[in-house]
This record gives sequence, C-alpha cells and structure tokens, in this order.
Amino acid sequence: MSNEFNRADAARMAAEWRYIITDMICRAGSGHIGGALSLVEIMHTLYYRSMTVDPANPKWEKRDRLVLSKGHAAPVLYVALAYKGFFPANLLGTMNANGTTLPSHADARTVPGIDVTTGSLGQGLSVACGMARAAQSKREKHTVFCIIGDGESNEGQNWEAAMFAAHNKLDNIVAITDYNKLQIDGFTDDILSLEPLTDKWRAFGWEVFEADGHDWDDVYTKIEAAKAVRGKPAMIIAHTIKAKGCSVVENTAGSHNVKVGDQAAYDLYMGALELETMDLPY
Amino acid sequence: MSDLHDMEMRAVYAATLNELMDENPNVMCVEADLSKASGTNPAVVDAHPENFVNAGVAEANMIGVGAGLAVEGKIPFCASFSCFASRRVYDQVYLSVAYANTNVKIVGTGTGITQGPNGGTHMDFQDMALMRVMPNLHVYSPCDVYELRVMMRHMAANVQPTYMQLVRPKVAKVFDETYSFDPEKAVVVREGSDVTLVATGYMTAFAKAAAEELATEGVSVELLHYPSVKPFDIATLVTSAEKTGGVVTVENQNIIGGLGGAVCEVLSENCPTQVKRLGIPDRFGEVATEDYLFDKHGFGPAHIVAACRELAGK
Repeated sequence: MSNEFNRADAARMAAEWRYIITDMICRAGSGHIGGALSLVEIMHTLYYRSMTVDPANPKWEKRDRLVLSKGHAAPVLYVALAYKGFFPANLLGTMNANGTTLPSHADARTVPGIDVTTGSLGQGLSVACGMARAAQSKREKHTVFCIIGDGESNEGQNWEAAMFAAHNKLDNIVAITDYNKLQIDGFTDDILSLEPLTDKWRAFGWEVFEADGHDWDDVYTKIEAAKAVRGKPAMIIAHTIKAKGCSVVENTAGSHNVKVGDQAAYDLYMGALELETMDLPY
Repeated sequence: MSDLHDMEMRAVYAATLNELMDENPNVMCVEADLSKASGTNPAVVDAHPENFVNAGVAEANMIGVGAGLAVEGKIPFCASFSCFASRRVYDQVYLSVAYANTNVKIVGTGTGITQGPNGGTHMDFQDMALMRVMPNLHVYSPCDVYELRVMMRHMAANVQPTYMQLVRPKVAKVFDETYSFDPEKAVVVREGSDVTLVATGYMTAFAKAAAEELATEGVSVELLHYPSVKPFDIATLVTSAEKTGGVVTVENQNIIGGLGGAVCEVLSENCPTQVKRLGIPDRFGEVATEDYLFDKHGFGPAHIVAACRELAGK
C-alpha cells in the first residue's frame, strides 16, 4: 500500500480531518481537541498505510487491531473510520448528541471498526496484551496496535502491562505513545515527569523507536520497523504537538478539553485551522 | 469427575476448568500469582499449559488481559483473592468488562471469613455488594461442589460478564449430581411455612443444618438458596415471604448491600415483610477462626436458629 501514498493527498486529508474534528467538538459544545489533533498524522498512517482492515467486514479475523487507550481522542478515530467507510460520514455530526452512537470516548459497542472500548486511562495496553496473547495462541499473524497518552502513562497499570508484554514476548504488539508533553494540569515535566521515557520502555524489555509524530515518512518508517521486531513488543515514542494545527490552542494544556459556548468561540477555533472551509459530510 | 463429593472447592474449580478446556480450547485460566491458592497450579498448568496465563502480582493488568482475550473470542476465568478480584480492580471490571461487555469470568476466592489466617487486610466482606451494583455483571456464589461445577459450565457456555465467589476448602454438600443451575432461579432447598430463610454461597450449608434442627423443634423453615444474587429471582422470594410473613437472611458478607440488601430491596417494593439480616454488621475482619467470627458477628449456626425462631414467633 505504501507505494500508493501521495504526500499532497495525505496532507490535504489531514487538513480536512482537523477541520472536521474541530467542528465536531465545537458543535458538541466541548471536547478533547488537543489529544485528537496531535494524532492526525499517526491515525492517517495507520489506516491508510500500515494497518490491514476491511471496512465492509469490521470483525474480519485477519485484520490488524487498534486499541485507542487514550479514549478521549475518539474524534480522530471516528473521522478516520468514517473516511475509510466503516460507517456513514454523516454520523460524525451527531457526536455527543443525545442518543448518539458516537460518544466522547471510543466505544466498541456502538461504533463499527472500533475494537476496544476505552476511556478510563491506563487500561488499553492491558487489553491489547490480552488480544495479542490470544493471537499468539491461535498462531494468527496480525498486529495489535495500541495508542497511549503521555499523561496516561502516569497510570501504573501501563507498567504492569509493559512487563506482561515483554515477559510473554508479545512481538505482535506495536504501541505508540502520543508524547505531546502536556496533560490536563500542565506540562508532563511539571506534573509527573516521564523522563527518561525511552529508557524506561527499554528497561521494561521493549524495542523502542522515536518518531516525529507529524512527519509522514518518519511515522510510517517507524511503524513498519516496529511491526518487524521479533521476540519482544515495540514502542514508538511519537513526539507530537498538542492541538497541532489549531493555532490558538496549540501546545497548551487548555486544549485538553475546550469549551465552546458561543459563535465567537466557534469562529475562534475554526479560524485557527489551516483549512478555511470545506463541505462537511453532515 | 465421579469423585467430586470429597474434593476441595478449589480442586473442583481446577478440574472443571480442565474439563471445559478439553471440550473448548478457547477456555483460559488467568491468574495473578495465586494459582496455587486457586487450585489451578499444578492441575491446570500441567494439563493445559497453553491455556494458562499468569499475570504476576498485577491484578489490574490481569483483568485487562482477560478483557483482551475475551475480545478475541477466548473465555477467560480470571481468579484472585476476592479482595483483589473486586475492590482492587473495580474500575478495570467496570470499564473493560462490564461496560465494554467482554465475556470475562472473574473469580474471587477465599471470600469473607474463609480468609481467616490472612486477617483483616485480606478479609473481604463487600465483593458481592460491589459487584451487584455493576450493570451488566452477573454475580454468583455457589454453595457446594456440585453447584460449582454446573455453574462454571453455565458460565463457559454463555456470553455474559460474571463475578463468582469461590471458597477454597471442602464444604458440606447441599446438592448432588442431579443439580442444574439457572441464574434466574433461586432454589427452594426445603419447603416450610413459619419463616423464610435466605442464604447464598458458603452459608447455605449452615442454613440447611439450622433448618433441619429447627424442624425437630416444630419450626417449619422454608430455605431459599440464591446461587445468583444478580440476576435476582424476585418471584420465589415474594411467594415465600407472602406465605411465611418473616424472612431471615444469612451471608458471609457485610449485611449492607449483599444478599440481605437485595432481599430488603425486593421485599420493600413487592411484599413488605419483617427481615432479619445476619452477616457481618459493617465491620472489618481480623485473624480468627470461623467459630470465633461467627460468634463475634452473630451469623453462625446458633444465631441462624435463634433468628428463625424469633421471626417464626415460636
């Protein structure tokens, strides 16, 4: 699939995704814009280059799996799944509306293409371990991807799972840390420092890569290298910018969850994007 | 498993897992460094090493791994002491099992006073109450080896997140090989007319003995055994309470929120009846023998007899 990649098309789609994500959150009145926008290039690379999936058959046994452990970034996953055709794109406009099937946090119960329900931080990597262990016992060859947040990495359960994955040689796991250096209360270095993060994962027995999470080639190259690791799980520390592409809140802790109470706020966020306008699918 | 009768509960747990694994390779045994206490090591480890996963002393990860196995169609039985399998992993069970609707079977072992030597730090009197208020989670407590085996077979055959209490030692028998389990149905162990006695799990055998003793005194006890406190069989309780006019509950748990709580909720809405709850009166545990704890907290055989006699008005 990689030879079909067109950088200009990808960049155009990334701009559209950022426009739609921001619009969805603004329409809902609030939402986790920062951690969704920091994942756009990574999510695009997963669904358009690195993962094998079948939108017509979301439960296809041979598909690659994705656990979005930082479930509050669900808007970027919803947009990716809609673009891939897992569900009609007009549903995107219903996020967080009463009775919606697209809640603020990733929900496998109601959204075709989502493999695991997440939202309470720290649990997704454990679930990915169970999925990978099941694949190991069934001699299946697919990859289980898992995206965790940097703030989420404060949760001790991640490190239980880190030990479990290495001990069980779960080389079918490719984890990605969305290292945007910010959590709700401030910079990760000020709240609960993760450093030295790559050393930590290496010490836990993982193969570790670092990538610029907004560089198309770097993200793709490191994901492919991580997939090829044998005998141990792989972690990609992806250096990203929180709320990337929405200049008024880029790289701020406040972007974790924005409140959009009126037209002026809507105009502020939408006007801070690369794309000035587009035809929304809803 | 013809020699079931004389086996420890945990030995039956392990033997039933092996039996289920022989029939279905998707059944998994997941432990958190207490596999010897659960009875699955070496029994399951030796017979089905491929189906055995040890998460180490990491119960939160054990529940997550169980959820991931279930997402992929496996049927994991995840066991630890009930204190760790309930209160320690409450949010993991809430999100990754109950809310996410993953087919995980959580087994809380050594519940209540059966943790004797481990004392108050490990003695868990609220796992039933905690798990009962979790939507989409069934909560079971088998009373003997026969019930345990068919309950586990039911769990493996049905896609349903479930929490099951498991005491580990040999226990008195209430049922036999003919017993069948239906989570929607309580069991009328003994019919009676003077007072209704409601028990679950470890206490049902004690309740049965108490009912038999009372019969010799002319007190007619209707004994209801609830293998499932969720779902809860409302009709059987209400029918019995309407007949007897008084209900005693007994459980190896805090009297708040567990079986006694469930009985009071049901009766107050459907058939207001005087209820006496026996169990732990909202206290912590301690290192002690069962007899000592029965006497201290007032839910041993003699207390069951006295409470039934009082509510029967005899």
